[in-house]
Amino acid sequence: MSWTSKHFLGLSPLILPYLVLFCGGVFLTFCQSFGVLTPLPYGGGALDAYVKLMGDPSFFASFFFSLGVAAVSALFSVLAGTFLAYRVWQLPRQLATAALVYKIPLILPHISVAFVILVFWSPSGILASMAHSLGFIQTLQQFPNVLYSGWGIGMILAYTLKGIPFAMLLVMALLVRFDIRQVQTAAMLGASGLRIFFTIVLPRLAPAMHTGFIILFLYSFGAFDIPYILSESRPGMLSIHVYNLYFKHDLARRPEAMAILVIMFCFALVFIIAYSKIVNHLDNGVRKL
Amino acid sequence: MTKKCIFLIALWAILVLPGPALAKDSDDLLLDTPFRQIQEQAHDTQVRWYMFGGWAHVNDWVDTYVAGEMKKQYNIDLIRVPMDAGVFINKLLNEKAAGKKIGNIDLLWINGENFKNAKEAGLLFGPFAQKLFNVKKYVDPKSMAHDFGYPVEGYEVPYGRAQFVFEYDKASVSTPPKNMDGLKEWIHSNPGLFTYPQPPDFTGSAFIRQVFYAVTGGHEQYLSGWDPDLFAQKAPLLWDWLNKIEPFLWQKGQTYPKDSAVLDTLFSRGEVAMGMSYHPSHAQNKIIEGSYPKSARTFVLADGSIYNTHFTAIPFNAPNKTGAMVLADFLISVEAQLSKYNPDKWGDFPALDLARLNSEESKKFQAVDLGPATLGSDILTPVAVPEIPSEYLEALEQGWKENVLDK
Amino acid sequence: MKHALTFLVLVLLFVLPVVVLVLVSLAPEWRFPDVWPENFSFRGLTYLARHKKQILTSLSSSLLFSLLTVLTTLVMCLFPASVFARNQFPGKALLEGLLLTPALVPPMTFAMGLHFLFIKFSLADTLVGVVLILAMFSYPYMFRSLVAGFQVMGEGYGICAKNLGASPLSVLLQVELPLLMPAVIAGGSVVFLVAFSEYFLVFLIGGGSVASFTGTLIPLLNSSNRSLAAILTLIFLFLPIVLFLIIDMALVRVYRKKGMVVS
Repeated sequence: MSWTSKHFLGLSPLILPYLVLFCGGVFLTFCQSFGVLTPLPYGGGALDAYVKLMGDPSFFASFFFSLGVAAVSALFSVLAGTFLAYRVWQLPRQLATAALVYKIPLILPHISVAFVILVFWSPSGILASMAHSLGFIQTLQQFPNVLYSGWGIGMILAYTLKGIPFAMLLVMALLVRFDIRQVQTAAMLGASGLRIFFTIVLPRLAPAMHTGFIILFLYSFGAFDIPYILSESRPGMLSIHVYNLYFKHDLARRPEAMAILVIMFCFALVFIIAYSKIVNHLDNGVRKL
Repeated sequence: MTKKCIFLIALWAILVLPGPALAKDSDDLLLDTPFRQIQEQAHDTQVRWYMFGGWAHVNDWVDTYVAGEMKKQYNIDLIRVPMDAGVFINKLLNEKAAGKKIGNIDLLWINGENFKNAKEAGLLFGPFAQKLFNVKKYVDPKSMAHDFGYPVEGYEVPYGRAQFVFEYDKASVSTPPKNMDGLKEWIHSNPGLFTYPQPPDFTGSAFIRQVFYAVTGGHEQYLSGWDPDLFAQKAPLLWDWLNKIEPFLWQKGQTYPKDSAVLDTLFSRGEVAMGMSYHPSHAQNKIIEGSYPKSARTFVLADGSIYNTHFTAIPFNAPNKTGAMVLADFLISVEAQLSKYNPDKWGDFPALDLARLNSEESKKFQAVDLGPATLGSDILTPVAVPEIPSEYLEALEQGWKENVLDK
Repeated sequence: MKHALTFLVLVLLFVLPVVVLVLVSLAPEWRFPDVWPENFSFRGLTYLARHKKQILTSLSSSLLFSLLTVLTTLVMCLFPASVFARNQFPGKALLEGLLLTPALVPPMTFAMGLHFLFIKFSLADTLVGVVLILAMFSYPYMFRSLVAGFQVMGEGYGICAKNLGASPLSVLLQVELPLLMPAVIAGGSVVFLVAFSEYFLVFLIGGGSVASFTGTLIPLLNSSNRSLAAILTLIFLFLPIVLFLIIDMALVRVYRKKGMVVS
C-alpha cells in the first residue's frame, strides 16, 4: 500500500504539531547555536560557540560525567528491575497485589525522589543515624561521603530508585504473556533456578530490557530535575551547565548553551541508531527458540 | 471613492504608524501625572511582584502584611511570584528582543549587577522614584544615588539595607574569629566545618567579595570604577586564599552548597559549624522559625563587612505601572519599613533616613527588639564598607569558576 | 522462603521511603543521631494550613494543565494511531521511529529553542503554551498505547458499524473510542503523571505565570523546612492514586452499565 491523501489527513493532527513544535524547536536550537535568530544581535562568528566548547575542559568533564551517571543508573535499574520483576511474577496470587507497591516511585516526581535520597543519605540523615546506633560511626563527619564524593552517587541512587519500577513495568508486560509452564517444565527436567532464568526467561525479556535501557539512559543523560537537587559542584551535569548558561549569564552566551543542546541532541540520535543496530545484529546471530 | 480612501489611509496612519512612539508617549504621560492621581488610578487593580523566593519568612511577610495592606488601602490584589533576579532579567531581555510590549511583571526586587544589566539593556521604566511621596519625604537622595557604584537616576526605589554577617553556634564555637586571618586559622584547625555557597549564588558571591577586600588591602582602591589591570593584579591573591582553604572546607571542598538555603540547612543540621548571610537578622529569623538552635549568634570581621541597599524597580513592559509605583511607595513608607524591621516578620534594616523621622516614629524604630542573634548598629556600622562596582562582581564570579572551581 | 526475600527488598526500596516521609512531615528537626525522631511537632501542618490557598492554587493549576495535556495528546494521536495500526505504507517504521523521538531526546533540546518563538507569539507565560510543550514531549506514550489498543481491537467492530450505515467519524467516536478506553486510560495515566511531575518545562515556558505544584515544592526541598516538603511530596503521591482509583471505579461502572466486558 502506498500513501494516500487519507493517510495524510489522518496523520496530520500529529504530524503538524510535530513539525512545527518539535522539528521547529530543534531547528531554532541549531540556529541559535550558530548565532542566528538569537534574542540580541550576535557579534561572533557562526562556529564561535562550538570552538569555545571544544576548548573548554569542563565541558568534556560534564559530558562524560553525565554519560557515566546515566549509564550506571540505567544499567543497574534494568538489571535489578528485571530480576525483581521475575521474582514478583513468581509470587503467589495473594501477595501479588501487595507487590504493587513497586509503582510508588513511578508516581512520585523526580524532585521528590531526589529529596528522599537526600533525607536518607546525607551525613545528618537517617542512614547515618542508623550507622551511629549500630556503633559504626561516632560523629556525622565519619559517615561515608555518598552524596558529595564527586562521583554522582546521589544522582545515580535517585535515578535508580525511579528507574527500577520503570524497568519492572516494561518487563512485567512481557512476563504476563510468558507461559509459566515452560519454567515449570525446565524445573522438572532438573534445571536450577538460575539456569532457568538466564537461558529461558532472560532472552524473552531482552526487548523490554533494551527499550528500558535506551529510555532510562537518555533520560538520565539530559534531564534537569534530579541534578537540580543533587548535582555536585564539579563535575556538574550537562543540563545544569546549560541552565546556568541560559539563565544566569548575559544573552551573549546564549549560543554556547544552544551548542551544548545541539551536541546532546545529536548524541541522543546517534546513540539510538547505534544501539538499535547493535541489538538487531546480536539478535540475528542468536538462534530463535 | 478617493475621499474615502484618503480618509482610511489617514486613519491607518494615525493609528498604526505612531505605535512604538505611543508606548513611549504613554510612559512620558505617566511620568508627568501627579502622584495623587496615580494612586487613584491604581485602585482595584492587580500588581504582580517578581522577587527571590528562597526565604520563607520574607515570602510570608509579603503574602500577609504587604498584600493585606495593599488590599486594605487601595484594594490592590498583590500577587507574589518567586523567581531569581538573573532569571527574570533574562525573561525581560527575551521579551524586549521579541518586541513584547506588555509583559506580566509589574514590580521587581533588584539591586547590584542585575540592576545595572537591566538599566543598560533598557529594561526598566523610569525615572519614577522622585514622584513617590515617601521617597521625597523620607529617603536621603545620597543613599539612593548609586547602586554598587552605578548611577540609579531614579529608576529604582530603596527597599531595605543589608550587611554581610557570619553565623555560628555559641554552644559549639566559644570565640569566633575576629578577622579574615583568624577565619583562615579557624578553618585550618576545624577541617570540614566551614563552606560557602557556590557563586554566582548571591550570598556566596558576597563572601568572596568580602575576602577580596580583606586580602587585597581594602575597598577604596576599587571604588573609582572598573580597572581591568588592577583586577588582574589583585585577583590572584583571592584565588590563592580560596584555593588554600579549599581542602579544609566541608567535603574537602569537592563540592559547594548549591545556594544559601542549602548552607542554612547544613548549619541547622550541624554538618557545618558556621553559616553566613547578607541579612544581619537572618539568624534570628531562623531561631524564631525553629531551624537554628537558640544559641546561634552572628559576628562580623574587623576587615570590613559589606553593606548594600536593595531596591524595587519597574520593567519597561509592566502591565500595571501605576499599581507598581503605589506598591513601591508603600514599601518605603514608615509603617512598612517598621513592620519589615521587626525580626518576627523579617528583620531587614530600614532604607529610610532615620534622621528624617519625627520623634514618635523614631521611638518606634528604636523600640524594635532585634533579638539576641542580631548585632546592633553600634557593632555593624563601624565595619560597614560599601559594595564594589558591579563589573568587578561579574569578573569575580567568572574568575571564581575558572580559578577555584575548575582547578 | 524466597518470597520473603523479595518482599523484604520491595518494602525496603519502596515502602520505607514513604514511611520516612510521613515521619519527616511530623518531625522537621529529625536529624543525626536519632534513628527515631525525638520531637514531633505540627509545624509543617500549621504552615500548610496557613498557606492552603497558595498550595491549592498551584495544585489545581497542575491538575488543570496535566488533564489538558492528556486531552491534547488524545486529540493529537487518535486518528494517527488508527492510521498507523491499520495501514502499511512505505517508510512506516522510519516515521514511527521519528514520531517517538520527542520522548527520547532531552526535552531541553527543543524546548529552549522554542522558548523564544513562544515569547514572540505570546504563548510563553500562558497555560496554552505550557500544555503545548508538555503535550509535545509526552504524546509518544499516548501514541504507542493507542496503536496497541487499535491493534488489539481489530477492525471488526468498525466494519460492522460501517456496514450498518455509520459514518467514519461516528464509527470512530461512538464504536471504537469506548472500546479503546483501556488503552486511552493506560496512555493517559502516563501522560498525566509525566505532565504533573514536570518541573523544568513548566518553569521555562510558564515563566512564573503558570503556577505548578512542583514549582511550589522545589524551593522547600533544599531548605530547612523539610516537613512541609515531605507533606507536599505525600500529597504528590496520594493525589494520582486517588485519581486513578476514581477513574477505575468510574470505568467499571460505565462498562457494567453498557454490558461490556471489562478487559
